[in-house]
Amino acid sequence: MTAQLSTRALIAGYEDRVVLDGLDLDLPGGEFTAIVGPNACGKSTLLRTLARLLKPRSGTVLLDGAAVRDLPTREVARRLAVLPQSPLVPEGVTVAELVARGRQPYQRWWQQWSTSDAEAVREAMALADVDGIADRPVDTLSGGQRQRVWIAMTLAQDTDILLLDEPTTFLDPAHQVEILNLVHRLRSERGRTVVAVLHDLNQAARYADHLVAMRGGAVVAAGPPRTILTVDLVRDVFGLDCLVVPCPASGAPLVVPTWPVTVSPGKDA
Amino acid sequence: MTSATIGRSVVRAGAVTVLVRRRSVMVAGALLVVLAAAVLASLCVGSRYIAPLDVLRALPGDGTPYDVVVRQLRLPRTVLAVVVGAAFGVGGALIQSVSRNPLASPDIIGITQGAGLAATVALTTGAAAALVAPAALAGGLLAAAVVLALGSRHGLAARRFVLAGVAVAVALRSLTEVVMLSADPIDGLRAQIWLIGTLAGRGWTEAAYVAVTLAVLLPVLLWAGWALDSSALDDDTARGLGVRPVARRTGFVVTGVLAAAMATAQVGAVDFVALVAPQVARRLVRAERPPLLCAALVGAVLVVLADLLGRRLFAPTQLPAGVLTAALGGPYLLFLLVRGRRRVL
Repeated sequence: MTAQLSTRALIAGYEDRVVLDGLDLDLPGGEFTAIVGPNACGKSTLLRTLARLLKPRSGTVLLDGAAVRDLPTREVARRLAVLPQSPLVPEGVTVAELVARGRQPYQRWWQQWSTSDAEAVREAMALADVDGIADRPVDTLSGGQRQRVWIAMTLAQDTDILLLDEPTTFLDPAHQVEILNLVHRLRSERGRTVVAVLHDLNQAARYADHLVAMRGGAVVAAGPPRTILTVDLVRDVFGLDCLVVPCPASGAPLVVPTWPVTVSPGKDA
Repeated sequence: MTSATIGRSVVRAGAVTVLVRRRSVMVAGALLVVLAAAVLASLCVGSRYIAPLDVLRALPGDGTPYDVVVRQLRLPRTVLAVVVGAAFGVGGALIQSVSRNPLASPDIIGITQGAGLAATVALTTGAAAALVAPAALAGGLLAAAVVLALGSRHGLAARRFVLAGVAVAVALRSLTEVVMLSADPIDGLRAQIWLIGTLAGRGWTEAAYVAVTLAVLLPVLLWAGWALDSSALDDDTARGLGVRPVARRTGFVVTGVLAAAMATAQVGAVDFVALVAPQVARRLVRAERPPLLCAALVGAVLVVLADLLGRRLFAPTQLPAGVLTAALGGPYLLFLLVRGRRRVL
C-alpha cells in the first residue's frame, strides 16, 4: 500500500481540549477508507485536520509525502477536495453555479472561466447525476439531491483525493445507498482516493477497502474490514455486544447487536 | 455554451477572461439609462427650469446663457450625488456580503456614527470648515477600526461583526447627542443638518475626493466582484476550495469601509442608501449576494433623485438629501420584499 495521506505525531483539537493526541496514520492511495467510531471519538476532527480545515497544534499531515502546511492552500485544493459535514447552502444559487464554484482553485479574477472548467463541471454534474437539475436553485432541493450537488462541487475540483465528513447522515436509506454507490464508483472507475467519516458500521464494512476504527482520539485498529472487524473490536470501540456474520448480500462482515437473552420479566408484565 | 454557465457569458479580452451574468448586464444597462435620465433631470430642474436641449448645449460651456447655472451650480452637485451614491452602494454591498445580513450597512455598524461624532465635535468647537470632512473621515475610519477589532476574533464571523457594529453605533450616537446638546444651539443645528446628510453647498472638491477614492479602489473592486462568489459559502467549504475566507472578508470590509467613510465624510450621513441600494440591486439581478456594479448604480440613482426631490419638493424650502433617501428607499425595499414572496428571489 502506498500512503497518499498520512499523519505523523498529530496533535489537534479545539480551544479548550486536545482531541487527537499524537496520531500516526497512513491512508492508502486509490482506496476507499472509512473512519468509524463512537460519537466524539475524534473522527471528524481527524478528517478536518487532514483537510487542513483545522490547524494541528503540532505534528504533520503529509500529502504524497510533503507537509500540507508548507503547500499553498490553492495547490492543496487542486489535489484534495473536502465536503464538510453540513455546508451552508447559499440562497438562490443554482446547481450549475454551485458546482462551478468547485473550479475556484483553478481560477483568478482575471481568469474566471476556461474550457477545462467547463469540461470538469460538465463531467462532475454527469457523474453525480445532477445534470438534469442544473438550473434549479440548490435551496429548493431535497436532502439527497443537495448532497449529490455538494459532491459534484468537490468532483469539479478534479482532485485525486476526496474527503467526506458524514456524507450519508440525515439521508434516508435509499439516498444513503445512492451516495455510497457514487463514492464506490469514484473509487473503482476513476481511481480516486476517498476518505469518509461514516456513522453506520455496516455501510462502512460493506463499501470501504480500508477501515479505521477510532476511540478516544486514538486509532484502535486499521485495515481491511474483513480482517479487523471482529466481535472484540466492536465491543472495544463501541462498547457493544454483537455478532459479526457475513452479509448475505455482499459477503462483507455484518455487525448484528446481540438480542437480550435475559429479559427482566417484572417490568413488562 | 455549457450548462455550467447558465445565464452567464464568457467575455474574453486579451489575457483576461471574465464570466458575466447576462441578467446583471441587462440590469446595469437599464440602470445606466435611468441614471442618465435622473442626471439630466437634475440638471434641468432648479429654481429655474432649463429645457434638456439647452442643458446639453450649455454643458460644453460655449457661452450659452445657461452656462453658469448648469456648469457651476447644478453639474458639480449632480456629479457629487452620482459618485457619493456609487460609493455608498459599493460600500454597503461589500459590508452586507461579509455580514450576510442586509441590515448591516455603514449607517448601522458605526461608520456613519463615528463620522457624525467627529463632524459634530468639529462643527461645535469652531474648527475651520475645511477640517470637518477630514475629521469626519478620521472618525468614520476609527469607528470602523474599533468594530473590526471587536469583531475580528473568531475570524470576523458575521454575527459577531454586526453586533459589535451595532453596539459601537449606539455608543457613538449617544456621545454625539451629548456633544450636540451641550453646544451652542446654532452650531447644534448645523451639526444636525450634517448628520442628516446634504449635498447643498458642496461640489467638485467633494466629488473629486470620492471619485479618486473609488478610482484607487477599482482594482480591489474588480477582484472583489469575482472573489465575493465565495462569500456565501461557509468557511470550511471555502477553505476546502483553497480560499482564505478570513483574509477575503477582511479585504471586503476594509474596501467597503473606505468607500463608505469617504462618501460620508463629504456629504454627511445620507442614510439608508448603503443599506437599500445593494438589496435593490440584488433583487433586480436575482443573485445570492449584492452585485457591486449594480449596487453602485442604484445608489447613484437614489442619491441623485433624493437630492433633486429635496431641492424641488417643498421649494423654496430645501430638504437635505438624507431625508429623501430614506423616504424613497424604504418603500421601494418594502415593495420588493412583498413582491419577492411570490417568486424565488
